[in-house]
Amino acid sequence: MDLLPFFTWLDTSLLADLSKAYGGVFAVVQMFHLVSLAVLGGMVLVADLRLLGVLLTDVPLTLVLRETRRGFDLALLALVISGVFMSSAVAMKLYYNQMYWVKMIALLVGVLFVYFIRRPLLGETPEQLRPVTRHLIALSSMTTWFTVAASGRWIGFS
Amino acid sequence: MLNQWLLDLAQYFAAQDWSIGLHESIYAYALIETTHVLTLMLFLGMLIVIDLRMLGLIFRDVSAADLAARLDKPMIIGFVVMVITGFILYYAIPVRTTQSIWFRIKVVLLIAAGVNAWLFRKRMQASIHTWARDASPPAHIRRGAIRSLVFWTGVIFTGRAIAYDWYDCHKPLPEFLQWAAGCIDPSAAE
Repeated sequence: MDLLPFFTWLDTSLLADLSKAYGGVFAVVQMFHLVSLAVLGGMVLVADLRLLGVLLTDVPLTLVLRETRRGFDLALLALVISGVFMSSAVAMKLYYNQMYWVKMIALLVGVLFVYFIRRPLLGETPEQLRPVTRHLIALSSMTTWFTVAASGRWIGFS
Repeated sequence: MLNQWLLDLAQYFAAQDWSIGLHESIYAYALIETTHVLTLMLFLGMLIVIDLRMLGLIFRDVSAADLAARLDKPMIIGFVVMVITGFILYYAIPVRTTQSIWFRIKVVLLIAAGVNAWLFRKRMQASIHTWARDASPPAHIRRGAIRSLVFWTGVIFTGRAIAYDWYDCHKPLPEFLQWAAGCIDPSAAE
């Protein structure tokens, strides 16, 4: 599926007009993107390191997963909204940027993983899962979100 | 006087082979900056979780003191890596960075965040036994957590803004901004 028509549209959309005309607004949105990344990182690391049995081992796993869920969801939403705005400013450039697609694929994998694999698998009683399964879930999650963050920064260099 | 001394130090760094090599490298600078951004997820991620607990917004069923103590270690590891990579990034582009108003505000905010963290810890340790298991800590602890979030958000904002040249020394700036940014040699900052 070629997404060029979508990027061509995005490049000439109202959003693109705004992001291109007001450099200051673009920069502020970019900074919110980073703050959201920090929140997402905190939620992912606390939950995954607990799954690995490294952090907060004296706090029930179900509680840690429940408490980090809402922060993760909000941070992801903020990341996507700010990300779309930022993409609109340089839509055509991004379409031909290899690292952008690495980030988008990692993001898609991350979202699908969280909502269709991780959460259903951990369910209401994550303690009942075998440790190896919990560890695999945590490692996959950290690797995916690490790739999203690292490739995101690398877009600016490639 | 201080601005001249800072510029001299920056020019001394800028003349070193390692600084030039880092600045001109294709991958090393990018790798260090990526590591710097990734420590946002570790250091600030942990800090945000602790501050949100101190505000009584998450982990209300977990003792605030226990949560802060458990997350302290990864947070400090993240902080150390962030400071080291941050210094290397400064070392790679010292002259422009020294004369950046955003870098200077960032340093002030870092000092403010450090002082706040020290005071916060001191006040927390002095009174923790009276509220450790409370869902919502007392007002002075909540205020400390808000200050921490504001300072660190400011550090992210100003850190990102360093990349923009809106107020660089080679641009026409009001006298106050020229002084605050330490603009002595505008050509050296281009």
